[in-house]
Amino acid sequence: MRSPARQSSAHRLAAGALLLACAALLGYLESVLLPPLPVPGLRLGLANIAIVLALAMHGPRVAAVVSLGRVLVVALATGTLGGPAFLLSLAGAYAALAAMVLLACAGPTFSVVGWSVLGSAAHVTGQLLVASLLVSSSAPLALLPVSLGLSVPLGLAVGSTVRLLLSRIPDLSLSAAGR
Amino acid sequence: MTRGDVLVAIAVVAVALLTVPSAVAMLAPAGDAAVLRGPAGSTTVSTTSPGTYVVEGHAGRVVFRVVGGQVMATAADCPDRLCVRMGAAAPGRPVVCAPNGVSATLERGEELDAVSR
Repeated sequence: MRSPARQSSAHRLAAGALLLACAALLGYLESVLLPPLPVPGLRLGLANIAIVLALAMHGPRVAAVVSLGRVLVVALATGTLGGPAFLLSLAGAYAALAAMVLLACAGPTFSVVGWSVLGSAAHVTGQLLVASLLVSSSAPLALLPVSLGLSVPLGLAVGSTVRLLLSRIPDLSLSAAGR
Repeated sequence: MTRGDVLVAIAVVAVALLTVPSAVAMLAPAGDAAVLRGPAGSTTVSTTSPGTYVVEGHAGRVVFRVVGGQVMATAADCPDRLCVRMGAAAPGRPVVCAPNGVSATLERGEELDAVSR
């Protein structure tokens, strides 16, 4: 992660806003254009590309703002703000962020691919736990093995995309060298 | 991809495999009953007789149809209607409408609350 001290607040604000727009757009396009996966609640997680980029380039604080912003924007756009779907989205987003920040703080042992895989697994786990609370039943947790299993290739795909972006786009690679 | 990344992926797959027995035990083998759960409580219905059941959820209604020993959601007042797209419930795979707080699972029906004829 690049040291926040080396970035001006205006630069961070602009980059955060850009990544938030990307996250919201990717999430919206995914929900509208792509067919749902066979496991309920499981998605490709295209919006996570922007979150992982934010974490790699600007650190946990900006990533948290982008993640919360995305959840709020999508909830406002779909009219689910404050409802159960919003809680599910929020739980997944922050479980994923917490897991990814944990690995990011562990140093170069893990790359963005590892962050993304663990984030994807934490996302589905968080959502299923909240779904279980919402339906007052452990039934949603029965989906955990399938969801966790599928989260690995999905996380690999998102992480590899982020790594490709970081290596191919000069400005990004300058901001997050070594990821 | 670093060695740490590989370890993360292996750990997630291992956890997924470790949760398989719990998930299987959580839901009894497919039987002759479906448990429909909502915010107000649960109802056990027979899957041997066709019928339509409406469960009131947090954000509206979810309509379940029981036919041919299967239970599936046919309509829901939620934005995505993922539960309707899921198709029929199967052992280990409940039909869940999380926004509404409603689910349907296949279980052995020792004590039925409702039989539709």
